[in-house]
Amino acid sequence: MAIIPVDDLAITRRFGPHLSKNTAVRLSTSVSPEKLVKTHCCFCGQQCGIQLKVKDNEVIGFEPWEEFPFNRGMLCPKGVKRYLQGSHPDRLLTAFRRDARDPSGFSPMGYDEAIAKVGAEIKRIQAAHGDDAIGVLGGASLTTEKTYLLGKFARLALHTKYIDYNGRLCMVSAGAANKKAFGIDRTTNPWADMIGTEVIWVAGSNVAECSPITTNYIWQARELGCKVIVQDPRITPIARTCDLFLPIKPGRDAALFAGVLQIMIEHDWIDRAFIEAHTVGFEQVAEHCKQWTLAKTAEVTGVPARSIAKAAELWGNAKSSFFLHARGIEHHSNGVQNALGTINLVLASGRIGKPTSGYGTIVGQANGQGGREHGQKCDQLPGWRDISNPEHRKYVASVWGVDEKEIPGPGVDAYEMFRKIDAGEIKGLISICFNPKISLPDNAFITRALEKLEFYVAIDFFLNDTARHADVVLPGSLQEEDEGTVTQVEGRVIKIAKAVECPGEARPDWRILQDLAQTVGRPKGFTFESPRAIFEELRLASKGGVADYSGITYEKIEAQMGVFWPCPSHDPQTGAPTPEHPGTPRLFEAGSYNPIAKGAGPFYFPDGKARFNVADYRAPIDDACDEFPLYLTTGRVVSQFLSGTQTRRIGPLVEQYPSPRIELHPRLAEKLGIADGDWTICETKRGAMTLEAMVVTTIRPDTVFVPYHWAGEKSANRLTVAAQDPISKIPQYKVCGCRVRKADGPPAYASVLEAQQ
Amino acid sequence: MGVPHDLEFFVDPSRCIGCQACVQACSECNTHKGHSMIHLEFVDRANSVQTVPVVCMHCEQPTCAEVCPADAIKRTEDGVVQSARKPRCIACGNCVIACPFGVPEVHLAEQVMMKCDMCYDRMSVGKKPMCATVCPSQALFFGTRAEIIALRPRSTPMSTFRFGEQTIKTRVSVMMPRASASPQHLDVTAAMDDRTRGRSLKLAVVQDGRSDDTVDTDDPFAAVQV
Amino acid sequence: MTDRTQAILWGLVTTASLAALIVVGSRSLAHFDAALVSYTFASLFATFGITYRYTMWLRRPPTQMYWRRGWQVFASPRHLGRNLLQLLRRFFLEFAANRFIFRRGGLRGLTHWLLMWGTLVAGAITFPLVFGWIHFETVPGHLDTYRAYFFGVSAGTFPIESAIGFIAFHGLVWASFLVLGGVMLAFRRRMVDHGAAALQQFGEDILPLLLLGAISITGLMLTVSYSWMKAYAYDFLAILHAITVIFTLLWLPFGKFFHIFQRPAQLGVGFYKEAGERGEQARCARCEQPYAPLPMVRDLTIVEQQLGFTYEMPRHAAGHYQRVCPKCRRALFGLAQGAAWSGARS
Repeated sequence: MAIIPVDDLAITRRFGPHLSKNTAVRLSTSVSPEKLVKTHCCFCGQQCGIQLKVKDNEVIGFEPWEEFPFNRGMLCPKGVKRYLQGSHPDRLLTAFRRDARDPSGFSPMGYDEAIAKVGAEIKRIQAAHGDDAIGVLGGASLTTEKTYLLGKFARLALHTKYIDYNGRLCMVSAGAANKKAFGIDRTTNPWADMIGTEVIWVAGSNVAECSPITTNYIWQARELGCKVIVQDPRITPIARTCDLFLPIKPGRDAALFAGVLQIMIEHDWIDRAFIEAHTVGFEQVAEHCKQWTLAKTAEVTGVPARSIAKAAELWGNAKSSFFLHARGIEHHSNGVQNALGTINLVLASGRIGKPTSGYGTIVGQANGQGGREHGQKCDQLPGWRDISNPEHRKYVASVWGVDEKEIPGPGVDAYEMFRKIDAGEIKGLISICFNPKISLPDNAFITRALEKLEFYVAIDFFLNDTARHADVVLPGSLQEEDEGTVTQVEGRVIKIAKAVECPGEARPDWRILQDLAQTVGRPKGFTFESPRAIFEELRLASKGGVADYSGITYEKIEAQMGVFWPCPSHDPQTGAPTPEHPGTPRLFEAGSYNPIAKGAGPFYFPDGKARFNVADYRAPIDDACDEFPLYLTTGRVVSQFLSGTQTRRIGPLVEQYPSPRIELHPRLAEKLGIADGDWTICETKRGAMTLEAMVVTTIRPDTVFVPYHWAGEKSANRLTVAAQDPISKIPQYKVCGCRVRKADGPPAYASVLEAQQ
Repeated sequence: MGVPHDLEFFVDPSRCIGCQACVQACSECNTHKGHSMIHLEFVDRANSVQTVPVVCMHCEQPTCAEVCPADAIKRTEDGVVQSARKPRCIACGNCVIACPFGVPEVHLAEQVMMKCDMCYDRMSVGKKPMCATVCPSQALFFGTRAEIIALRPRSTPMSTFRFGEQTIKTRVSVMMPRASASPQHLDVTAAMDDRTRGRSLKLAVVQDGRSDDTVDTDDPFAAVQV
Repeated sequence: MTDRTQAILWGLVTTASLAALIVVGSRSLAHFDAALVSYTFASLFATFGITYRYTMWLRRPPTQMYWRRGWQVFASPRHLGRNLLQLLRRFFLEFAANRFIFRRGGLRGLTHWLLMWGTLVAGAITFPLVFGWIHFETVPGHLDTYRAYFFGVSAGTFPIESAIGFIAFHGLVWASFLVLGGVMLAFRRRMVDHGAAALQQFGEDILPLLLLGAISITGLMLTVSYSWMKAYAYDFLAILHAITVIFTLLWLPFGKFFHIFQRPAQLGVGFYKEAGERGEQARCARCEQPYAPLPMVRDLTIVEQQLGFTYEMPRHAAGHYQRVCPKCRRALFGLAQGAAWSGARS
């Protein structure tokens, strides 16, 4: 039973999060690095180029990498201080086993012994309960090589259908909508295409804090005359000076898009020629939008009617445009519909596949794009292939050298896996690069489910909060300790370079997976000697798929500083080798060829046409009600990343924003008798948490905001609802009903825990 | 080797997103490692997310140097006003409260004043200042005048400031709207009674010189019921 | 009287005083070693130069203000006792022990401490000898005993072949070791520290180290020459040594070494700041938060006016920009620029 072995606080004392500071060699002004390693930041999906200063197998600092075209030296505070995650006192240098007799709850064990123990437990559980009794959880911060290997590992080494990943909390709404509308899931244009566009609409993205480098692209577009529309319940930094702010009530995005489209149709601000020639399904959408009168849209969305009208006018009359959205509209039980609503606006405008017109979703994690393409999703095989499609299965089986029947069928999404753990169907769990105890909604349930596991092994470089439940913890690698590729926000495949070796008994993650495959007796297909070798097989496995990487090589990535997929190794029309194929920076260009449409049109459907989809508005599940009258929305702050496993261990980043605070509007605060800095209780149907209030006029007065990077009693996901989108299964993090009141005093944790703990 | 004369520092606070990349990066510089010399202020966080990054403006006639009793602050030939010379600085703090832009800091334990020196250590090996290199919004820009004019056709660099009756000329420029009837200087103290606003409608002015083109108001939440 | 005339007069006064002291101390030059006359003239010149520069420095409005206020605060009857105690404490902690420099870094502290004490010891030995203020005579009848004279007055006897004798006669050697240790550490830092490398200037940072090193090395070579090498090349070395010392003395008023005379101002500033902290604080005209002692703000306002700055704000209630705190100054910078973009003012 994967119950936390000792008191949480005792584990924290030993394993952190403690703060790294730059001291000694990293503070010295007289040390010169031995080498500068050109690589990328380990955090968000923009994957800014950075050079790491290395000396004596330690990353001692950074130097901007001004030649890398995406960020040209620019970095956010996380990128600047990312180097402090190395040489950290909390780093796991050996494997650990749960040991309630040890004061810290864990005792070190030899690596080989740990692998053998994990192998034995997997075999025991599978013998007793069947192959599907083991579940695998992956993550979208892993390199594409690792995500590919993890998918293969689950299917071939474990024979389990239960694998999914934390992109389920991130990219799936956009991915599903993209597949439905375009047949391919990728941002359509490189960010540089924003420069010169007339209108940029940013929906549900706190660009300044979650993807800071994108800010400069937007500002630069604006220097050339672009108008910026921002849709958000909070006046974020990008919203402060935007041309049109749409202060939307959380969870009403599909309604807004339908209302705007309705106005565009009424005024004929649409590109009928494009719709006719390149799309299917407009009539149904137009019919659906008729109910969304301006008055009704304003009523439902909370956006003033004249602002909605102005948005339609700006968007409808532009000659070029960019639509960007992120988790703000995607983290909803209606997330796919919301994303489809944006796509309808884009398709109706006809502005896509052109040098200054595009559409994109801003990915959250390092490999938010690449991590969702090559088979760690429950229903997917490499190259964005479908695990239920017999032809796709056959092709991948041939690459893997196995019988097609050996590949299990589709599994379930990550949250559903926890329901299956709770139901006793899944007994054993392997997780890597995933911290569900913080990151999944209603995380009290996640804790209960974890406690029911017979065996849980976590692979990580720090003891993350979920790994505290583990029977065995295997010491994995930091990003800078391994090489590989990731695919960043624009669809650009880039190369992560290895800067240092793993310390102690820590191993590159792919080696750990291969050792596990070995120990369960299925080494075939898991004998790679390097990430490069894995990538070579991935190229082959993705060949002919929608996400075709077959023409990408490490050398090409380095020479071009990134290659946009698809990049086929052979011309899909003629079959001739295309070793010089530069990749595809811009999708859907007029006359472009793709293997699905086969020349019928630019979109990835047999007829080459994009799909309009009726994007229906449904009220959020667990919406504000009499008992819980306010909207709770969650998100990021600029100095922290995801569940904070890394960033809550970096001293200067913690100083910047030490602990979560609850943002509320002074009008609301006044009504509740709360002053700035007061301890405040936020309560939902799942639970309550006590945080300091931050009283600001920059949020809707009917909405409160809590950032989600902290653990335990500071975890925003104690409050959130486990409602999921029926198609993408993304959780509805961005809205639920809550109530707020002033606390009698500070919570017990305040005097016990350090800010970041 | 100092700062090449054609390279200049340009600041556009209206672009700033308050991310603190500059603050975090500044403390990586070799002349003051571990201490950040750039200031990033929330103008009034309760009412706005407006932030302002403040680097040393490198005045032609630096008030900080003139009021320094120890004569410790020097301006180099390339126009960079340096941190106080350590042997002389007696940490009195005159520079801290006299600098019209509020730049210098005094470190009492070490008995020395420190301030932004335009990354003299990086400049002297041909690199750009750390803050301007990393700034994700390019509110801080370092390059030639020709570059910034080409990049920002709606802006114009301004390096003359008014504080009360005092005019101050600086080596660092601030970006001002090119379209508006450009004044000869930026009157800083004219903002004494300004308050920051949740929304600041920037481009209306730039594009057509009038602000009635915008539909939303200062308080976009005015109609929201609590 | 112009500042310059006054500075020249003060320079002449101190130089003349030193000359008089030399005459008196050496008993009308009876004990004055004529071979050291060049050192003496260099010292006299340095005295003039240092006084001149010090006086000019004190004439600068901010310095003058602090000089005056520092003494006023120090001598204020209510706090004199405490101030004297503080003075002692600071003298030992900050000056003798170099605490504030150790806080910048252990090695940096050690470097400065070695340089400072080496130089002080050497100075304390050299100047009295050169000026004839100290001389030694063998005690008649006791050829193995020396009698030391200070200003011509007997100050005790000691055996030549004793530990005291050894230490006393080799005092400059010990001082040289301290200085050389400091010089090496300082050069090391200047070679390896990227920050120091970027900022250092030959005249300000390298030359002083070269001079101190040269004085120490040539001095030690003299000792080596007469102790072990039968005074080989002694005359040449003596001239070389004299050149390094005299150059340093002549350069004293101009370069980095001037901080030796300037630095005690730190003590005065300390008292001024303490008095300020005890007293009323100025509140910012914009945010109304305290930001500095009120007298300091008033004094600085006067200094700014003396310097010709016109930070007056006649059209605003604040009256003078000096009444705005640094944080608000930064905010104003943002607000003013933002206002230009939002068309609030045109």
